[in-house]
Amino acid sequence: MKCEWVQQNIMLHVYDELADDARYELDQHVARCEACAAELAAAREFRQTMATVTVVEPSPNLLTSSRMRLQEALETTQQGGFWTRLTFDPGIWLRQVRFSPALAAVLLLVGFGGGTAVTFRVIKSNPTDGPVQSAGPTGATPDVEANITGIRSITPEPGTNRVNIKYDTVNTKETAGALSDIRIQQLLLFAAQNNTNSGVRVDSVDLLRQRMNDSRVREALVYALRYDNNPGVRLKALEGLGSYVKDDVRVRDAVLETLTNDANPGLRTEALRVLEPVRADASVRATLERLAAKDSNKFIRDQSRAQLAQLPELD
Amino acid sequence: MAGESLNRIDDTVLVREAQRGDRAAFEDLVRRYDQAVLRLALRLTGSEHEAQDIYQEAFLKAYRNVGSFRFECSFYTWIYRIVTNLCLDHLRRKQVRKEDSGVVMNAEGEEFSVIEQAADDRPNANPEKDLLRRELGSQIGRALDKLTPRERMVFELKHYHGLKLRTVGEMLNTTEETAKNTLFRATQKLRGALSGLRGRARDIRGGDLRDDAGRRGQAI
Repeated sequence: MKCEWVQQNIMLHVYDELADDARYELDQHVARCEACAAELAAAREFRQTMATVTVVEPSPNLLTSSRMRLQEALETTQQGGFWTRLTFDPGIWLRQVRFSPALAAVLLLVGFGGGTAVTFRVIKSNPTDGPVQSAGPTGATPDVEANITGIRSITPEPGTNRVNIKYDTVNTKETAGALSDIRIQQLLLFAAQNNTNSGVRVDSVDLLRQRMNDSRVREALVYALRYDNNPGVRLKALEGLGSYVKDDVRVRDAVLETLTNDANPGLRTEALRVLEPVRADASVRATLERLAAKDSNKFIRDQSRAQLAQLPELD
Repeated sequence: MAGESLNRIDDTVLVREAQRGDRAAFEDLVRRYDQAVLRLALRLTGSEHEAQDIYQEAFLKAYRNVGSFRFECSFYTWIYRIVTNLCLDHLRRKQVRKEDSGVVMNAEGEEFSVIEQAADDRPNANPEKDLLRRELGSQIGRALDKLTPRERMVFELKHYHGLKLRTVGEMLNTTEETAKNTLFRATQKLRGALSGLRGRARDIRGGDLRDDAGRRGQAI
């Protein structure tokens, strides 16, 4: 091993970036070469000198204010939408193909085979233009979510656990089944988050409340509570989520957000009531204190004060 | 190690939820990494105000583009890549402006010295040693400012943030070998610039040890 190599790699040794065999050889060389031993000592001293300046941790105040500023900005920021994700980027595409020729070949074969099979089926089948009827779980294969363009109506069958859903793909379709049916649940979840008709959203959120132990349902209701522009839908979601404020922190955060920011005073009052069982929680207490001090709504201010008065004093 | 892989699994779940539009999941991701992001930005800009701007821009960029995140690297590497790019831009602009890095501004617009951040505020601290530490810090700051933005970034990530050079390479969209060469160049320049300081750090550390021994003696 030459001294030149050692000199070039001595810093990597000091920063523990040399491979085991190279490190061993370097140590062996340094043990016999005085000049390189001096260089190693100097490199170690350099590292220690640089370490006299320590990394300053951001202060809690700075971190908190940065988080608050970011949160405000996120309120008005849109994620790159569906179309952005589909935007054709030749650079990425070429890179993928370059690095995975096997995958590219498989995709080509699957595309070719799939295209042939679909053409064959289209020629064989007899296309129908009208609505397709399916009366139960054994009906037509459900459409994947991406094919559904909207839900027309949701009609629960009185006295049973069944529900009829009319939905649009390219054509309008209708299906019926029990609430436990996974297809029905998927359609209801879709309706709760994606539909343009607020009546349908109210119906779907209302039905989904019966399956609150499913985390996907809770997620959909939290979404509705946060982002739905119809107060009726938000109220239904809030009612459904009420019993989970104790156990699910994300539900609690969403309800706190409603209490603080919702434009509808009725919903804020309902959120206040829903949070009663967890008012001793630190985040709830902090929000109540803020509202009691300076909320523009007198009723909310008074109610917050009343709830705080029932809490034990903190040291 | 197990904790790290568990973290990654959690990250994957959160990223997928964020990609479906769940803002709460994205905020969870922010809380995992924002302290490290802010620390790096603060260290490289020397200004609370600018660090906050970089923090904000980095996470907003991540939020807008999380849909196109393809899990080719960890979320941690991805967010660091965004931050390092923003910091590199900042360093380049700063080099053009040739600002004096010794004096910076906090969020309230008040000037303060970066070196004072390194001041020893322990009880019984030795003022002489503290002054020595400040002088040393000031010279180190000036030497760091003379590096190119890329050399500075590699050195900061390696020395002050303890990252492996392979990870640093990933973050800077380059190879481990290039990161090694850059670290070599950076340390050569720094050693050259700080050659007059040999032994000063040892004096400070020696002082520290003597002070500690003294304090222990008093306690006994």
